[in-house]
Parts: sequence; C-alpha cells; structure tokens
Amino acid sequence: MPQTTIYVAPRFPGTLGTTPLAVATVDLSRLFGRSAALAGVSVNVEVGRTVALLGPNGAGKTTLLRLCATAIRPSFGSLAIDGIDALRHPELIRERVAYLSHATGHYDDLTASENLRFAATMFGWGAAEGAAVCDEALAGVGLDAVAGDRAGTFSAGMRKRLALARMLVARPSLVLLDEPHAALDDEGMRLVDRLLGQWHEAGVTVLVASHQAERIAGAADGSIRLDGGLVVEVSGAGVTLAAPATSLAPQVATSRVDR
Amino acid sequence: MSELRRAATVAVAIARKDALSELRGRQAAGSTIFFAALVLLLFGFALGPDSRRLADAAPGLLWLAIVFGGLLTVSRLHQLEADDGALEQLALYPVDRRAVYAGKALAGAAAMLVLGALLLPVVAILYAVPIGAAWLPLVAALLLGAIGFAAVGTAYAGLTVKLRAREVMLPLLMLPILAPLLLAGVRATAAALGGDPLGELASWLQLLVAFDVIMLVVGAGTYGFLLED
Repeated sequence: MPQTTIYVAPRFPGTLGTTPLAVATVDLSRLFGRSAALAGVSVNVEVGRTVALLGPNGAGKTTLLRLCATAIRPSFGSLAIDGIDALRHPELIRERVAYLSHATGHYDDLTASENLRFAATMFGWGAAEGAAVCDEALAGVGLDAVAGDRAGTFSAGMRKRLALARMLVARPSLVLLDEPHAALDDEGMRLVDRLLGQWHEAGVTVLVASHQAERIAGAADGSIRLDGGLVVEVSGAGVTLAAPATSLAPQVATSRVDR
Repeated sequence: MSELRRAATVAVAIARKDALSELRGRQAAGSTIFFAALVLLLFGFALGPDSRRLADAAPGLLWLAIVFGGLLTVSRLHQLEADDGALEQLALYPVDRRAVYAGKALAGAAAMLVLGALLLPVVAILYAVPIGAAWLPLVAALLLGAIGFAAVGTAYAGLTVKLRAREVMLPLLMLPILAPLLLAGVRATAAALGGDPLGELASWLQLLVAFDVIMLVVGAGTYGFLLED
C-alpha cells in the first residue's frame, strides 16, 4: 500500500528525545455557528497508546474525533497527527487515519465484499492483494459467510462490523472510534475488545469515545474527560495536557457557547 | 503506481460503483427514463397533431427532456453518497479529490448518454423525425452534451447534497449554467436532423467541446472544497 513518507519517525517540536506523539493539539477549537463544540483543547497522546474519550452527550468527543479524521477543520488552534500538520496536509493524515463514525458509510446496493474492495482501491491496494486483504478482514469481523450479500440487507450491527473490516483494510497508524460498541451484540462487543487489543499490540494509536467507561477502561492506557467542549480531566498513561499557545483561546471559544 | 494511474484507478472504481448501484436500483433509473419519455409525450400533446410543427420542435424538446431527466440522474448519483454517511467516508479516503470528481462525472456522463440514447428513438417515433442518416452527429452531440451536463451536475450535486432543499436548489443553480449547453445541443441536433445545409454543425459541436472543457476544469478544481464540511 503506497504511503507518502515525509519523516523518519514521528516527531513534534519541543519533544526531541521524548516519546513521539501520535496526536498533539494546541488550543484546538471548533465552532458550529455561535456554539463551541470544542473550546481550546490542548492535549498530547503518545504513539501506540489507547486513550478513552469520556464525557456526557455534547461534551465534544465526536468533534475531537472528526477533527483528527480531517472530516472537519478547526475554527482555530492547531492539530498534528504523527507530527504532520493536519491543517496543511490533510491528505497525508488521511493515509494514516481510520475513523469509525456513527454513520457506517456503506453502499446499500453493493455486497459486503464489493463495498470492502471499493474501500481497498481507495486505500491504494492493488486488485489481487486488495482482494486477499478484504477476505481476511471480512473473516476477521465474522462476515465472511455473508460476503456476497448486499449491505442494504444488513442489520445495524452487521453494518458496524463491515465498517470495522474497512478499518482493518486501511492498516492505519491512528484509529478513531466513535461509540464502537453501540448497536453490537455481545459477540460484536467482544470483537471490538479483541480489535482494541490487536491494535494495542501492533503499536497503533487508538482514540475511542464511549459511554461504556468501564468496558473501555480495561483496554485504555489513559483517558481524556471532556465536558462542554473543554478538557476537564486527563488521567492514566500516554496522554498529557499540553500548554496552550495562548491562555485566551478557551475563554474566546467558551464565551461564544450558547447556554 | 504513478499519480495519474492511481487517479484513473480511483475514478474508474467510483464510476463502476455508481454504475453497479444504478443497475441494481433499477426502479429509480427506470422511472427517470419513463419520466423523460412522458415529458416528450406531453410536449407532443401540448403542441398538437401538426407533424411539421412537432418535427421542427423535436430537437428542443429532446434536449429539454434530457435536461429534466438529467437533473434527477445527477441528484440520485449523489444521493447514493448521502445515505448513511458515504459522502463523508468518500471524502476521508486518501485520494485526490479531482479523481473523485472525475469518477462521479464519468458515472453521470454514462447515465446521461444512456438516457439520451433511449430518448432518441422515442423522439423519432412520437414526432415522426427520421434519424437514420444523422445518427453519427446526433450521438456526438449527445455524448458531448452528456459530458457537459455531468461536469456541471456533479459539482452542483456535491454542493447541494447536504442541503434540505436540494431538490429545488439543484435545478435553480444548474439551469442558468446549462443555457449554452442547451443552445448548442439543440442547434447541433437541428443541424444534424436537417442535413446541415448551412454547415453549422461543426461549430455547435465545437462550442459543446469548449463548454465541456471549461466545466470539467472548474468542476475538478472546486469539487474538493465542496466535500469539506
């Protein structure tokens, strides 16, 4: 799979000689109209760590994940993934990030296999190796028996499994999961737990937003708790608060929150 | 793999995916063709039984039916992406956005060409227009018209797909831009059917080529921004 290499190892200014950072944000903020979904978030996540994003509905977890996935752009602040500026080089970020959102992004009239092979082509796999990777991924999420069925006939849980298979095909260095256990049965939840373990062993960084704090706690090295778009607590290993570039950023953002 | 080859692979994969969805969702594609044929039939009723009048109006009515059917076609091709967040997923793949545009436009042009090709015999039968000798320039005009329509439609469908009022906004935005394409298409078709006594067919086809090139360049350049949230 082709990947543009523009550095030897993940780095971030000011961290020479320390653990490389997979995610580094400074004053990261996102406004939607007059509401601040994220207000001046400055955190560092080390490479290879699994970090839980915790907080109530509307805390900003999904917004943080979507910013890291380059699905949306920050209103202000900076974001670096593996040392690459996400604002300047979103195309390089997309080569190394896989994002599981609430919407699964499948095409109903294509079969599970066709959906996955389309994704494999988009990720840069050739036809033969892509087919092998897709078959392996479908087997990995337990959908190999229904590979020839159209995605439109799948249940919500099966659609999520297919989305997880797409993440396996992507072979990312940063995995972003938004409520990965939602809509899954017990077996599906164990599948997510198993994948979290595999990614951790492989040195892949994982940010996972979940309401199931106790379920995620076992797999996560550390956690970031958000509330009202602000970081209210950072705990555990692999994740630290970073110094904001300006102390004004959170106030500027929160002053615009409609309450 | 060179960048160009990679872009071509991506574009073909997107067009193939859209074509598969269109073929398997036959109900929607079939109803669009039926709608466009119905438009031709109703125009026929509106103009009355005068066969000379119908034959004179045939080129304009054919292109209006293509435009109406085409609006539904490009809207539907982007609706595929709007369902279940597929458009966001498409935007997150590590691919050149121009290749995504090319793929969507390719699928749109193919669908438009099929629509035009199916409407031609309908026009020939309803309006008693002989197309046998003029088939080659007619196909050329339809092909160039399909490319231009898809070039504009893909960009505007990308712009309006997230809007609630997309069904209204798409024609409102597209129709003014399509005026040169409609004019050139109608005149080229009329010239082809009339045996091109004034030798103007080539000029109208050249205008269609110029329209296509400009719209493809503008569409490819702007489509990436339209995918941004």
